[in-house]
Amino acid sequence: MEANADQQKLQELEKKVRVLTKKLERSEADRQQLEATSEEREHILKGVIRDFELSQSSLENRTRELEIALRDLKQLQVKLIESEKMSALGVLVAGVAHEINNPVSFIRGNLSHIKVYTQDLLRLITAYQQHNPNPSQVLKDLMEDIDLEFLREDMINILKSMQIGSERIQKIVLSLRNFSRLDESKFKAVDIHEGIDNTLLILQHRLQATTTRSAIQINKQYGDLPLVECYAGSLNQVFMNLLSNAIDALEDANSMCTDQDVKHHPNEIWICTEVNDRNQIKITIADNGQGIPEEARSRLFDPFFTTKPVGKGTGLGLFVSYQIITEKHKGKLSCQSTLGSGTQFMIEIPVQQPLLPSR
Amino acid sequence: MLKMILGHSDDPDSQGAIEEVLEQCIRDLAGMLPKAGLLFAAIDFDHALILETINQTFPDLQLIGCTTDGEMSSILGFQQDSLTLTLFCSDTVDIYAGVGRQAEQDAIAAAHQAVQQATEKSLTPTKLCITVPASYTANGSTTSGEQILKGLELALGANVPIVGGSAGDQFRFQKTYQFFGTEVFTDALPVLIFSGDLRLSHGTGCGWQPIGSKSTVTKSQNTVLYEIDGQSALEFYQKYLGDRQPTAEHPLYVYEGDSDRCYLRVPNTCDLETGSINFLGNIPQGATVQLAEISRDQVIAASETSFKMALEHYPGTEPEAVLIFSCCCRRWLLGTRAKEEYALVKNALPKMMPIAGFYTYGEFAPLQQQGSNYYHQETFVTLLLGTA
Repeated sequence: MEANADQQKLQELEKKVRVLTKKLERSEADRQQLEATSEEREHILKGVIRDFELSQSSLENRTRELEIALRDLKQLQVKLIESEKMSALGVLVAGVAHEINNPVSFIRGNLSHIKVYTQDLLRLITAYQQHNPNPSQVLKDLMEDIDLEFLREDMINILKSMQIGSERIQKIVLSLRNFSRLDESKFKAVDIHEGIDNTLLILQHRLQATTTRSAIQINKQYGDLPLVECYAGSLNQVFMNLLSNAIDALEDANSMCTDQDVKHHPNEIWICTEVNDRNQIKITIADNGQGIPEEARSRLFDPFFTTKPVGKGTGLGLFVSYQIITEKHKGKLSCQSTLGSGTQFMIEIPVQQPLLPSR
Repeated sequence: MLKMILGHSDDPDSQGAIEEVLEQCIRDLAGMLPKAGLLFAAIDFDHALILETINQTFPDLQLIGCTTDGEMSSILGFQQDSLTLTLFCSDTVDIYAGVGRQAEQDAIAAAHQAVQQATEKSLTPTKLCITVPASYTANGSTTSGEQILKGLELALGANVPIVGGSAGDQFRFQKTYQFFGTEVFTDALPVLIFSGDLRLSHGTGCGWQPIGSKSTVTKSQNTVLYEIDGQSALEFYQKYLGDRQPTAEHPLYVYEGDSDRCYLRVPNTCDLETGSINFLGNIPQGATVQLAEISRDQVIAASETSFKMALEHYPGTEPEAVLIFSCCCRRWLLGTRAKEEYALVKNALPKMMPIAGFYTYGEFAPLQQQGSNYYHQETFVTLLLGTA
């Protein structure tokens, strides 16, 4: 009986040993597999992270592309607006110049006759006076009434000033016609100095002394320039933008100083031209205004960037100028500015345009 | 009345194990005679010896079975290296076994053969087909779960639910065995056909989650996947796995067309030269695929979903038996938590009832009640049986 129980116990123990041995084998195998799996899952995780990184960088690229596309579009839009505006303005200016030119020609043409007639009439009056030294009371009253002596003097002055005025109108009309040159579609070899001078003439009213300040002094240091192949109208637009900005800068600077300061430190604009050794012309337009703050300098040529008050600047002047110089003329437009002492803009364009199909 | 009697032994010795199993069964049968049985056995046993012993005890038993990747029963819970025998007794349900041979060569013919053998003795219409077909055959090649399913549907008609799982070999992926009566096969398709007064319901759950970016299958043919997004299938996997070869733990989610419906496909073998991967299931060209990853919590939650879905749809008052078929990859990835799958089902039961099941190499179950049958992977299938 006891032997039987022992036998059963032994059998149970044997089974337990078998089960435990099998379980041990199994758990050893499981452990190895688990280790392999854990490594595998680690790889997967890394793979997924790589996936994310890839899709992130492709997103970033796409964003960049879109930003560039947006910028290009904006530029295109600005160019379109500007060229529309400029061509409309060009036509308008040319039209106005033409329309004014005719009546001014009548005035100017007839002024010489008026002058002769006036002198004749004055001579006649003098002769009358000599022949009739004691005129009647009626004539005396009339002479006194019209202040004959003053009239005689002033009439000549008025005619002189009319002559000067009409000459100036004619010059301005000529400048306007030159400035607006409707020759945008092709390069022409032109005298750059003429373009600058025309621009200055148009801006004359802004350079003159006002009740609040004295005249802005223009210092020209013109070098010996050859004729330069360019889009003259566009280039004039650049001169206009840079000179207007210089005048704005000086006016800004004045508003921050006393009249005394301005007297000691008169407003000046320098215009220098030269030919550099790379067969390029270099035009420098500088002012002695307040200079441009550093944070604005990097954005000067961005479209719609302006430091001027709303309504005064569009933020397009320098942007368009930059496009005209760099793209149309394959040149360079750069800026140097020192806070407190002024700003200078440098235009560099080749004397001859490379790869010009018409040449 | 349908009674499910269980025997379960963790004795690694074949003779010891089957003796223990039969002892438990005979005790619980209490004189009843079982009609049919399901044998789930670990791969290392002497299967012929076990079958012979069962045959000596129950000579007329309609028995099928297979080797597995882990066995479960309400006696020992979840086990590996164990032996489970499930016996069915009923006076109102007819159960017959059949087997089809050479399922790898011609699954359609094998299915026809198996169904015919099982149904020729049956007088009433088939209510359910349980199958435990071969996966890895003697020469290491695999059967097509989809072809087997197609064959069974052709032989049974599309309205008969087909539930079960492919045989396993403890995650070795070399050779699996199937049982019919006293015979042991490596490429057979055994079936158990239920007819008569049977009520049943089933449920499925998966729990894998897609991870990484979605890609498109640019070249594939049946189960062989050649290219994803123009690069070789292997390169796609290597992006995630490094120089490791793709394994069953990392299946692909396959999305067809614009539909939300997606299913998993498990990689099986790969050709290092061409970079192609052979899957345990078809991958259609043009489909969108995404690598799948598991979170153990979600995998376990899916088991519960599967069970609840089955219980909710049970057409009678209360089931009498539970069969579960869970994918080997679930067992593998759950590790020590694999027993939770079984425990969840056990705890969710309204009352104590016998549970048996095994970890498979591919699961069969309809997607919905009275819905079309489907060949699943990485899935947990619950089958509830009863007569009331």
